[in-house]
Amino acid sequence: MRLPDSPMVHVPQLIHFNKIEVYLPENMPLEYAITYTAENSYENWVHDAHWQFLITPQQNSNQDFVGVEFKNSLNAVNEFSVNGYGFSTIRVHPKQKFKEISFEAHFKLVKKEVNPFDFISEDTIQEAYDKINTLTFKVDYEAFLRKTPFTTLPNNKEDIFDFDKNISIFDNLQALNAFTYTHIYFKTDVTDVNTLLDEIIEKRHGVCQDFTHLFCALARKNGIPTRYVSGYLHQGNGFFGDSAMHAWAESYMPRIGWIGFDPTNNLLANTNHIKVAHGKDYSDCSPLIGVVYTTGRNKTSHTVQVSSQQQQ
Amino acid sequence: METTENQMFSSYQRNPELFDEIYDKDGKIMSVYSELFDLYGEHSIKDYVKLNDKAKASFFNQGITFQVYDKKETREKIFPFDLFPRIIDPQEWDIIERGAIQRSKALNLFLWDIYHDKKIIKQGIVPMDLISSSANYLDQMVGVDPPGGIYNHISGTDVIKHKDGKYYVLEDNIRCPSGVSYVICNRTALKRALFGVFNHYKTHTVTNYAENLLDLLETVKPKGVDVPNVVVITPGMFNSAFYEHSYLAKTMGVELVEGRDLFVENDFVYMKTIRGPEKVDVIYRRIDDAFIDPLEFKPDSSLGVPGLFAAYKKGNVTLANAPGTGVADDKAVYTYMPQIIKYYLNEEPILNNVHTYHCSRPDELKYVLEHIHELVIKPVDEAGGYGISIGNRLTKEEIEVVKNQIKETPRKYVAQPILSLSVHPTYIEDTESFEQRHVDLRTFTVLGKDREFVLKGGLTRVALKRGNLIVNSSQGGGSKDTWVLKK
Amino acid sequence: MLSRVANNLFWMGRYIERSEHIARYLNVNYFSSLDAPNQLSQSRQFVLRSMLFMVGDPVEDESAIVDEEKVLYQIGLDTTYPFSIINNVKYARENANSARDLISTELYESINKFYHFVLNYDANAYVKNGLHDFTVHVAEMTAILRGKMRGTLLHDEIYAIIMMGVNIERATQIIRMINSKHTDALRAQGSYGDKFSNSFEWTTLLKCAESYDMMRRFYKKTPTSISTLEFLILNPNCPRSIMNSLNQVYEHIKVLDTSKKYNKESTAFLVGRVRAEYQFKYIKEIETDIQSFIEDILSSLSEISQKMEKEFFNY
Repeated sequence: MRLPDSPMVHVPQLIHFNKIEVYLPENMPLEYAITYTAENSYENWVHDAHWQFLITPQQNSNQDFVGVEFKNSLNAVNEFSVNGYGFSTIRVHPKQKFKEISFEAHFKLVKKEVNPFDFISEDTIQEAYDKINTLTFKVDYEAFLRKTPFTTLPNNKEDIFDFDKNISIFDNLQALNAFTYTHIYFKTDVTDVNTLLDEIIEKRHGVCQDFTHLFCALARKNGIPTRYVSGYLHQGNGFFGDSAMHAWAESYMPRIGWIGFDPTNNLLANTNHIKVAHGKDYSDCSPLIGVVYTTGRNKTSHTVQVSSQQQQ
Repeated sequence: METTENQMFSSYQRNPELFDEIYDKDGKIMSVYSELFDLYGEHSIKDYVKLNDKAKASFFNQGITFQVYDKKETREKIFPFDLFPRIIDPQEWDIIERGAIQRSKALNLFLWDIYHDKKIIKQGIVPMDLISSSANYLDQMVGVDPPGGIYNHISGTDVIKHKDGKYYVLEDNIRCPSGVSYVICNRTALKRALFGVFNHYKTHTVTNYAENLLDLLETVKPKGVDVPNVVVITPGMFNSAFYEHSYLAKTMGVELVEGRDLFVENDFVYMKTIRGPEKVDVIYRRIDDAFIDPLEFKPDSSLGVPGLFAAYKKGNVTLANAPGTGVADDKAVYTYMPQIIKYYLNEEPILNNVHTYHCSRPDELKYVLEHIHELVIKPVDEAGGYGISIGNRLTKEEIEVVKNQIKETPRKYVAQPILSLSVHPTYIEDTESFEQRHVDLRTFTVLGKDREFVLKGGLTRVALKRGNLIVNSSQGGGSKDTWVLKK
Repeated sequence: MLSRVANNLFWMGRYIERSEHIARYLNVNYFSSLDAPNQLSQSRQFVLRSMLFMVGDPVEDESAIVDEEKVLYQIGLDTTYPFSIINNVKYARENANSARDLISTELYESINKFYHFVLNYDANAYVKNGLHDFTVHVAEMTAILRGKMRGTLLHDEIYAIIMMGVNIERATQIIRMINSKHTDALRAQGSYGDKFSNSFEWTTLLKCAESYDMMRRFYKKTPTSISTLEFLILNPNCPRSIMNSLNQVYEHIKVLDTSKKYNKESTAFLVGRVRAEYQFKYIKEIETDIQSFIEDILSSLSEISQKMEKEFFNY
C-alpha cells in the first residue's frame, strides 16, 4: 500500500486522535501556547518525593522562543535542568510532607512553518541502500537501530513489513507509516505504558505510543535509524479538552536527515507537531518520573491543552 | 633437603603437577623465599597456631568482617588471612605494574572512543555487539567528556601465575573493585604478628594507597574548582564492603556519605552537614551505575541521589569511576584486550590474556560444546565468581545443563582453557599444617589526569578448599600479605 | 560533619550511657533486695516490677506474677525486647559503624568488643547465676568507653556531639531512676514502720547512680529523701547529678554553636535556659512536688534533644 507522493500538508486533513476528528489548520508560522497540568493525591503522608518532568518543548531549528512557566501547589523550588540525553527537564522536590500536590506548566513557542517535503533529494535509490549498509553508518546510528524491549518484534512477526528495495527509503517509510496506521486501530485504555509489541501486533489496537513503537521496530528492522519522539499535537484552534501527550517517530535517511512520521495519523510530522524529546523508545521519553516515598494508594491525573495563534 | 629440618614445613607435601611458587624446578627453595623459610622454621607449629589465633582475634575486634547471610540471621565473619606471605621479586613486579598500567590506559582510551567516535568498531577491530548488547553501555554517556578524560580511575586487575611461570590476566575489574583495604589490613596484621621477619626483607609499603588515591582524584576535579571536596559514597553499613568504604574515607580524611546525605541544587551537589550544605566536587562512588540517580536510572533505588547525573553531565561533579565504565569490564571485551592495547597504544600487551572462546561465534560455540570438559565456562556479565563452571569438575548431568544454558544464550558465555593457578604454602586450620593452595593476585591501579599509580603489593587471594580454583571471598577464599621487594 | 552521622554519634553516646544505667539498676536493685530491711523491698516481685518500670515497660496489672528468669533475660539479653541491654549495645555499635571513619580506631574496637561480649554471653548462665558478672562487666566496659572517648578523640565537634548524647542520656536515666525509686519508696512506706523520707530505697537509688560513697562523704549522714534528691539533682560536683549533666551539655553545645549571642530559637539558648533554672533552685521547691519535677525535667531534656535534631541533624 502506498500513499500518493504529492504534498498533503498544505490542505486541511483529517487526523484521528483520541477518536476525535478535527480539521488541521494550514501550515503557517504559529505561536503556540501549551498548558500541562498534573494532580497527584495520596492516601497517606508523603515524606519524601522527587519528580522529573520531561515536558518542555525542545528548542530546535523550527521551534523557537520557547517560554516556560511552571508552578507547583506546595511552592517547592522548581529546578530547570537536563536529563541524561540532554533534554530540558523540571525537577521538583518538596521539603515538607504532603498528601496532595498539583503542577501547572505553561509553555509558549514559535513554530516555523514546516513543509515535511522540503528536503534535498535522496541519493539514488541504490546509493542510499548501500550507505545504510556500511559499518560506519550502522555504528553512528547504532542506538536507533537497536532492539529495545519496546521495539522487539515477536519472532514470527519480524517480516510483516519488508522494504521494497526498488523504491526510495522515504517512499518505503511513507508506506510503513500507512501500514502501521492501518495495521492497528486506535483505542484508548486497552494498552498501557508497559505494553510490548507482542500484544499490540496480536490484538491490533493501541494508542500513539504503540503505533510509534511498531513503526520504530519495523523501520529499524529494515536498517533505518528511527527514534521515538514525544511531544504535543495541536489538534486545531478552539479545541480544548483533556488530552495526553503525543508520540511519533523520526527516521534518518542518508543526505536527508531526520524526518518525522506520525503513524497514528498517517501523517508526516508538521507544524502541529511540537517536539519535546526523543529516544530509543518510550522509556527514554517518559514525561514524568517520580520517586515517592509513601504507603497506600495514590491517584494521578493530568491534562494537556494546546492552542495556537497565527503570527502576523 | 632442608625441608626435613624445618618443623613448620616438615609435613608439607608437594604435588609435582602444580606450580609451587616457593620451589624451583629442581625442588629447591627459591632464593627469595629461603630466608623466610628459615625464619618460619624457627617456630613450632604450636607457636604458629597461637599467632594465627591472635591475628584472627585482631581482625574480629577491629570489625574487619563481612556479613554472611544465612536463613536465620546475618553473621559476621572475618576474611580468612594466612600469615605466610607471598613474595614478588622486583623484576616480576615490574612486568605486572607496567602491564596493569598499560591495560588501564588502553581501557580508558577504549571507553573514550566507544562513547565518542567509536572508531575501533568502525574499523572492524571489535564488534558492535560489545556495546549494542551490553547491559552496561550507557547511551546517556555518549558525547560526555569526563573531567580529566578519565573513566576508569580505579581498576582492579586480577592476574595469575600459570605453570609456565608467566603471569596471565584473568579479568579487569573496573566497576567498583574492592579488596584494597584488606591489603593494608593484612600488612598490619602480619607486622603485629611477625614483625621480626620484616627486618630481613626490603618490602614496599602499601599504606600509601589512600594518599595516592586522594591525590589522583584531586587531579580530575571539575573545571573551575580550586581545592576539590572529595567524598566516598557507600550503599550503607549493611553492604559487605562497608568496612572498606569507611576505611578509605578515614584514611583519605574525607567524608563517607550515603545517598541521603547528598542533594542536588541548580545542578551542583551538596552534602548535608551540621553547619548546613557543603558543596561536593569529586565522588568516589562505591555504588553501581544503576543506583546512582533514581530519576535517571532505577527509580526504585534509594541509594543514589536524585539529579546527580544531570550535575555530572553538566560537568559540576566528578564521578569515579565514570558512569558507563562497566561496559569495558565485560568478559567479552576482555577477549579483545590484545587488539585494544595494540589499537590505542600501538604496543604489544605486557601481560598475557587467557585465550577465550566466544560462544556467540558459531564455530567457537561448536568447539566449546565439544570440549566443555577441558574448559572454564564464564557468564560475561557476572562478578564475584558467580556462575562459573569448571568443565572437568562437572558431572555428566551438570555438563548437559551447562550446555543447554550456553545454547540458549550464547552471547552470555565465554570459555577459557582451564588454567593451572600457581600454588603457595598456606596454613590449614583443620590439619594444623601447611598445604599447597591455589592463589591469584588482584592489583590496584589508579589513573588520574596525566598520572597513574599502582599499589606495590596487592591482594593475594587463596582458594582455601583443597583443589579449588575460585579464590573470591564470596566463594570461601582467603588472602595473604603480598610483598613486593625493592630493587 | 554530616548531619546524619552527627545524629548517629549523638545516639551512640546515648545508647552506651543507657546500657550502663540499666545494667547498674538491675545489679543494685537485685542484690540490695536480697537483704533489704523491709519485707516489700525484699520481695522479688517488687524488685522485678521496679526494673520493668525503670526501663519503661511497667506492669500495670497489680495481681500479675512476673517471672524472674524471664524478666532478667528480657532486660539483659533478649534481642526482641526493645529496651534490652543487648539492643542498646547493638544500636550503639551500629551507630558507631556508620561513623567509624570519624571515631578513633581505639574507641571503635572497644565498642566492638563490648558488642561481642554481650552478644556471646551465655543466656542460661546469665539468668541462673551470671547477673552480677554480666552487669558488672557492662558497667566496666562503658567506663572504658568513656575513657576512650575522652582520651582518643580529638575534642572537637565530633566529641561534643557524642558527649551531648552521653550527658542528655545520663540526666534522663538518673531521672528515670529517681522516678522508679521514688515510686518504690512511696509503695514501701510504712511496711516496716519506716518513713518515706528515711526509706531504704534512697540508699538503693544512690547506689544505682554510683553515688552512694560520694554522697556519704558529702553529707556524712544516712541518706534521706531530701538529701538524696538534692545530691542527685542539684549538686554540680556530683558527676552523676542532673546539674552536672546540664553543665556538661552546655559546655559542649558551645563547641557546636559558637555565636556570642544565641538566637532565641537555638538549642544553645534552650540548654542555657534549662540549666539556669536548676542552677538557682531550692530542693524544697522540688520536694514538694517530685512528680511534676520529673515530668518537667524529662520534657525539657526531650525538648533539647528535638531542638538538636532540628538544628543539627536535619537531613
